[in-house]
Amino acid sequence: MVGDKKGKKLLVIGAFLLPSLLSMALFNLLPILISAVVSLTDWDMLGKPKFVGLLNYINVFTEEKSYIAIFNIFKFLIGYIPLVLGLGLLFATLLNRNIKGAKVFRGMFFIPVITSWVAVSIIWKWLLNGNTGIINYVLSLVGVQGPVWLSDFFWAMPAIIMASVWKDVGFVTIILLSGLADISNDYYEAAKIDGANTINQFFKITLPLLTPTIYFILVISLINCFQLFDQVMVMTGGGPAGSTSTMVEQIFKNAFKNYRMGFAAAQSWILFSIIFIITLVMNKLQKRWVNYEDK
Amino acid sequence: MLKKTLVLALAIIMVLSLVVGCSKDVAETTEPQSGQPAEVAKEPVTIKFMQYTASGSQEETLKAMIDKFMELNEDIKVEYEVLAWADYYTKLNAAIAGNAAPDVFEVGYENFATYAAKDVIKDMNSAIANDGEFKENVFKKLAYDAFKYNGKQYGLPEGYSAVVLFYNKDLFDKNSVAYPNESWTWKEELEAAQKLTDEKNGIWGTYAPFQFWEFYKTIAQNGGSIWSSDNKSVTINSQANIDALQWMIDKSLKYGVSPKLNDDTFSQPDADLNAFKDGKLAMLRTGIWNFGRFADADFEWDIALEPGNTQKAHHFFADALVVSKDTKKEEAAWRFMKFMTSDPYAVSLRIEKGWSVPAIADEKVMASYYELDKPASRKVVNETLDSLVLPPVGPIPERWNEITGAVGEELEKAKLGRITAKEALENAAKRLQGLIK
Amino acid sequence: MKINKNILVPNLLTYTILTVAAVTLVFPFLWMISGAFKDALEVVKMPPQLLPNRFTFENFIEIKKYFPIEKFFINSVIVSTITTILQLLFCSMAAFVFAKFQFRGREVLFMLYLITLMIPKQVTLVPLFIVFSKLRLADTFLGLILPDIFSAFGTFLLRQHMLTIPDSFLEAAYIDGASYLKVFTKIILPLSKPAMATLGIFAFMYSWNSFLWPLIIVNSKELMTLPLGLSKLTGRWATEWNILMAGNTVSFIPIFIVYIFAQKYFIKGLTLGGNKG
Repeated sequence: MVGDKKGKKLLVIGAFLLPSLLSMALFNLLPILISAVVSLTDWDMLGKPKFVGLLNYINVFTEEKSYIAIFNIFKFLIGYIPLVLGLGLLFATLLNRNIKGAKVFRGMFFIPVITSWVAVSIIWKWLLNGNTGIINYVLSLVGVQGPVWLSDFFWAMPAIIMASVWKDVGFVTIILLSGLADISNDYYEAAKIDGANTINQFFKITLPLLTPTIYFILVISLINCFQLFDQVMVMTGGGPAGSTSTMVEQIFKNAFKNYRMGFAAAQSWILFSIIFIITLVMNKLQKRWVNYEDK
Repeated sequence: MLKKTLVLALAIIMVLSLVVGCSKDVAETTEPQSGQPAEVAKEPVTIKFMQYTASGSQEETLKAMIDKFMELNEDIKVEYEVLAWADYYTKLNAAIAGNAAPDVFEVGYENFATYAAKDVIKDMNSAIANDGEFKENVFKKLAYDAFKYNGKQYGLPEGYSAVVLFYNKDLFDKNSVAYPNESWTWKEELEAAQKLTDEKNGIWGTYAPFQFWEFYKTIAQNGGSIWSSDNKSVTINSQANIDALQWMIDKSLKYGVSPKLNDDTFSQPDADLNAFKDGKLAMLRTGIWNFGRFADADFEWDIALEPGNTQKAHHFFADALVVSKDTKKEEAAWRFMKFMTSDPYAVSLRIEKGWSVPAIADEKVMASYYELDKPASRKVVNETLDSLVLPPVGPIPERWNEITGAVGEELEKAKLGRITAKEALENAAKRLQGLIK
Repeated sequence: MKINKNILVPNLLTYTILTVAAVTLVFPFLWMISGAFKDALEVVKMPPQLLPNRFTFENFIEIKKYFPIEKFFINSVIVSTITTILQLLFCSMAAFVFAKFQFRGREVLFMLYLITLMIPKQVTLVPLFIVFSKLRLADTFLGLILPDIFSAFGTFLLRQHMLTIPDSFLEAAYIDGASYLKVFTKIILPLSKPAMATLGIFAFMYSWNSFLWPLIIVNSKELMTLPLGLSKLTGRWATEWNILMAGNTVSFIPIFIVYIFAQKYFIKGLTLGGNKG
């Protein structure tokens, strides 16, 4: 009886997983493994690949640009993650207060998420313009002389961070909102009876129960940060002088512009290793702070 | 955990490669059936054609040309695909990698050598030999020869483009400065620009973009080059080149006749073109593809040859049609590319619709181009050919994008004032040496 | 729902913060819309004006010179809708297993799913294209749709939400004799509505904006999607920004409609969770 039940359960697991497993293996894992093979070759896509062993990997490690790209990603991360998560939490909490017009606000917050980078990059270039941009105008009101953001070696990355936070904060807000929606009101009722105030409620109930969602956002954002590409391509193309160059930007250029597919594949696998390790560490650490209802 | 993951992944892959392997067999057995009729040539042969220069507003012109071709050649059917310039090579290279290259496709000169060197395009010498009617002198010799590789003809030039000096006649008149002519050098340009600059009203004497493409032409105007004439060594850090780069910087930094180099406004897309059209630039080095854009400007303007320093130099951008190495329809492909590049119908339509300048030798045909609309001195376009500089692909055409990237980055550092002109070119020389190994 | 209605000052603060944020977030978008109605010179004028001097609808007609927008639009709607529905189905099924079943290798398998997110698409593109060419799926609708019918992102998103559904709900149902399928359709899915709605928007949006894969897999005009057309609005030498803005405005509308549609479920999910909790 018990064995039978177990067998049935396994069958159910298999059936439920089958479509995703199949498409993941065929459309994701297979190309990924092919790219692993490619990374061991010198391949320009036009001719036949030539086996070169680990040469591409060695070259990635000896190329100065690789380190610059990693460094640039960390520059991005440090600014982007706290900002987007902090603002997202603030907006989500405020929007969840069941105020009038919450729907309209939510809609407005979501607009940047669904606007295309190409169209938006032009206005951002203007907002960030060193001479006539609004951002520098506002800064000048408080007596600060703003930089020529996107043309400045140091300030180009902060500018990209700003634009990215603008684009993504709606995404984070919406995810957090759906996380908040999962939190049962009973908790708040109980807390009220205990006499907890708003701030207390936030830290004692909202935040802990939101940790699975926050964990999700952190993992996804980190993965996305390491694959930073679109906004860089449309706003600076990796410049000025390489100060916003990223891993994926280099991978794309090497694969499709420089006829170095093998090298690009090696770069991808190194990038993958970095992301994988970080995700593993986060996965281990989550048990310490992520609060699942089923414990 | 990692180990388990890998084992699992491998297991899945093995199953999948079986699946893929099987279907591959199926695909291969069906291949001859679809390939066979093409050889018989009773049914129309279908050739696939991929290109980018029609992207934008010339797709209807392209369609008209292809329709006409199919009307004249009922045994050939052309399936065409037009892609944006930015995506064209991404798609083309992926198609070649997947053994799905189009029969005929378009390449720019700077990419042509790569495809020839990598042996993915067919040399057309036998097609030329088999074609009794074809005469290579219908094309401008320079343009035709640009698509030779190791002495063999690989492509036929469709058209070319050039960069010239545009000038605002009204501004010249207002300041009673004589118009630029072909005898001008940088010196005359500077003197005129100093008179024309009116910083208070935001009017600048002269402007040229600060990037790699402008750089390799400017150094040529000073007698320099990126590679030695035998293409064996790097000469980018020569004194002539350093001086030329310094000139690019000094125009704004020292003489103040160009906008400041960190002027963000001019880094906006098309900002220089809009500034010229707005009457804010007296002289502008830009492409002849902007004729249409300036046609309705509310002032008089014309074009002239670019002033050089020790010699004249002009950009030459040419696009050609080439044939995939793997095509089984070479004869049809040849007839098609011949039609698209040199047939009178295609040529005159190309001129009439303002698509590009055909690389046709016959001056009678070209007369209709010179007579088109503004500017008055259209003949200048033809004169640029006497001093053209080809994109400096050097000994490593296949690494062209890396050349532009590496040098471009160093130029940018010099532009930002982080390093001097000399340092920039020394760095660039080192990086180029690294590329040729 | 009954929280904080008594505090007036925080409400005022809430509105202030939200309004400032909303204006900042929406401004660039409004500029895009207004750009769609400007002429070629005005659209690039600096500093920009929010309203066009003269409204023109010509840009929307001009797009047709570049590509057949209605055909590409319909293709995009078909592809994105099918993709979204399949992705919702397959991801929710997988997420159910990962959230509510204990079995050996679960964590490893889940990690394997996540791994697929960690390799940049730019490098798996060509291998995938070669696989699809071999499978004779190049230049077909199926080829366009298949790679996106599942996403690790979606599975992850849904799993995180399903983990917050108390096991006691499911156990009660199993004791009552409900089948796994019934538990999935009658308990898990209804309770996951907010997350499903969220995934629905994102799946649709990703598919709608997807560019590199369609670029490579599709050759015929009959199959091309909107982003392929929009990319033609960017020129090699120069771009007509007003037409580009018009194209992007058209492209924006369907995603916004999907958003409006999905937004309802946030609220429904809220009350449902509240009742059952």
